[in-house]
Amino acid sequence: MFRKLALIACLVATPAIARDLTVVAGGGGFQDNARKHLFQGFAQATGQKVVDDIYDGEQAKIAAMVKNHDVTWDVVMVEAPEMVRGCEDGLFEKMDWSIVDKAKFIPNGTATCGAGAVGWGVTLFYDTKRIPQGPTSYAQLWDTKTWPGKRLLRNGAKMTLEIALLADGVAPAEVYKLLATQAGQDRAFAKLDAIKPDLMWWKSGAQPLQLVGSGDVAFAVGYVGRTAKAAQDGAAYPLLWPTMLFSFDFWTVVKGSPNTTQAMKLVNYMTDAAPLRALAQDWAVSPATAAVAQDPAIRAKNKAMVAEHAADGLFIDTEFWVQYGDDLERRFAAWVAR
Amino acid sequence: MATTSNAASPPGLPADPVPRTRPLARLGLLLTLPALLLVGLALLLPLGLNLATAIRDPELAATLPRSAALLRQWDGAGLPDEAAFAAVADELHTALEDQRIGGLIARLNFERAGMRTLLLRTARATPAAPVSMALPAIDPQWSDPATWRLLRRASLGITPLYLLRAIDLDLTADGTPIAQPAGQGVFLTLFARSFAIAIVVTGLCVLIGYPVAHAIAGLPRAWGRTAMAFVLVPFWISILVRTTAWFILLQHDGPVNAALLALGLIQAPAQLMFTRFAVLLAMVHVLLPFVILPLVGTMRRIDRGLLRAAASLGAPAWRRFAFVYLPLTLPGVGAGALIVFMMAVGFYITPALLGGAGDQMVSATIAGYVNGSLNWGMASSISVWLLLGCGLIVAAAYYLAPIRR
Repeated sequence: MFRKLALIACLVATPAIARDLTVVAGGGGFQDNARKHLFQGFAQATGQKVVDDIYDGEQAKIAAMVKNHDVTWDVVMVEAPEMVRGCEDGLFEKMDWSIVDKAKFIPNGTATCGAGAVGWGVTLFYDTKRIPQGPTSYAQLWDTKTWPGKRLLRNGAKMTLEIALLADGVAPAEVYKLLATQAGQDRAFAKLDAIKPDLMWWKSGAQPLQLVGSGDVAFAVGYVGRTAKAAQDGAAYPLLWPTMLFSFDFWTVVKGSPNTTQAMKLVNYMTDAAPLRALAQDWAVSPATAAVAQDPAIRAKNKAMVAEHAADGLFIDTEFWVQYGDDLERRFAAWVAR
Repeated sequence: MATTSNAASPPGLPADPVPRTRPLARLGLLLTLPALLLVGLALLLPLGLNLATAIRDPELAATLPRSAALLRQWDGAGLPDEAAFAAVADELHTALEDQRIGGLIARLNFERAGMRTLLLRTARATPAAPVSMALPAIDPQWSDPATWRLLRRASLGITPLYLLRAIDLDLTADGTPIAQPAGQGVFLTLFARSFAIAIVVTGLCVLIGYPVAHAIAGLPRAWGRTAMAFVLVPFWISILVRTTAWFILLQHDGPVNAALLALGLIQAPAQLMFTRFAVLLAMVHVLLPFVILPLVGTMRRIDRGLLRAAASLGAPAWRRFAFVYLPLTLPGVGAGALIVFMMAVGFYITPALLGGAGDQMVSATIAGYVNGSLNWGMASSISVWLLLGCGLIVAAAYYLAPIRR
């Protein structure tokens, strides 16, 4: 009886006890390896317990935490436009550059509320066991006669509209100039309309691999890291580097976190060269930390590093999506639901 | 009720003393209190709050309180005076510095695309007096009366914007409702699709559930219990698990395709996943118990003697069914159909997992506004219209169908 009461007392008292430092990212192989080298590396170095969680990039979750003063995440990895907007909207703390060493990042690797984390990309891929010779460009991906089957893209305007314009023969350097105009946006949606019945949409980064693996879709545009890992583990997925769209994610600290100082220290640790070098041994990470990103030995080892193929791919324009994201995402949502 | 009270006090015997029933009636009233309280707290209160959220418009007054007060006094003709310009510029700047401009930006950009850029550009600048000259130099939209009238409308505290947007209407710069340009609106399509799917699912559930319920009701007690267990056990399994099971069964290389291929019915694996067929199949499977349960209850209570009486009067089987059995089961059909319809209209996990982009239902959009863009005004407005639509359809069915007794 007494034990039961004590247990209840513990349960009731829990919220008052300071929780563990919580770091949140997009999951997958990156997070499994980051857990070992970055999160637990920091825990071992400092004695601060660190737990991690996974999310699909829903900014609303963070907004709800901040609004309700119930912040349960401390450090979150977010995409660049979300970092910029979240900073303006007061979702993230301004980076404390007295704790985080600003000098170690590549150019544009820092922002008011963000410290450059890792580069990521998406590419077109398919299973050569099912389709020996598939499309090698987005223009060919639109050729549903030669290559029938479902095409899986990310459920959102970002990346999808760029892909549509690339498929329509627009030069990579012209994509964002065109997308900033009404005519360019109409052209992208018209291109998507052309093969709408053959298009399907993923929400979580694990789905492209699942659905290509099960044969439910023929072609998918999915995260480079995960596809490369699957290929390494025996799947016959070629990485088509000329179809890559890429960007950098940023570490942010959630506004109102009760562990701000520890969170800043964690960000500084996770962007230090030593733990990133260790991580690079297990995962083709493409960090924004200059010493690691530009290390020839690491580049030679990790052929799937996004930075290695930057010249082939299209850099996702952060400013463009900060400015046009709201409207284009709304138009896309209406288009896709129709 | 009349027969019971007659039986309780047959003629010749003294009736129950009146005072004894009074406390009982009062006790009965007392016992209904928790239910009334529940209806009030769990139904009417959230409903009212939901409606309030659909029209609330607090962001501008909360972020720019001085500007809001000035704008409310302004008559809306031409451009406001220098004081309003200065207040807007000053308060925008402070709001950005304090990192609390997000809500206002989201609200105004939702009404008019491009407001995000305008507000941030203005908030970053520190215009010199006279501000009414400086702001148009930063962005010419500040010399457009429409921009100011938009701000004025947003300062009033309530807005019809969300309710209008939720049925594919829009507000002009002057605040009058107009239809959205063709191809921009999506909600009418979503409402129509949701109601259509719910009606089809309800129809299928009744068609499939009726014979099953009839068979179960006709079984001897012990067998009936076993049969009910077969209906009930899947009912206790989480919807998510059952939906995922369909995902596995219907996928490209799944057992259903494998069986169809082995039987030679199809030559290549059929596209079963991400189709309307998959959505309907899984929804009917999930919702079937809700129509079988009330039907079995109704059918078990039917006096079989009525059927025998009809037979003895020479009615053939189809006549006995159509004129005796079916009318007696209609209350059960109505109850089951109502439950299934109301649940089906709100489905979104099943369509999200098994359907394509063209099979998504309106509740998925509500969830999207709540979880994704944090637009509670839109989420509430869509649910207000959804509730209204459901009410109209149920009322129509109630008056048109021969369910009433």
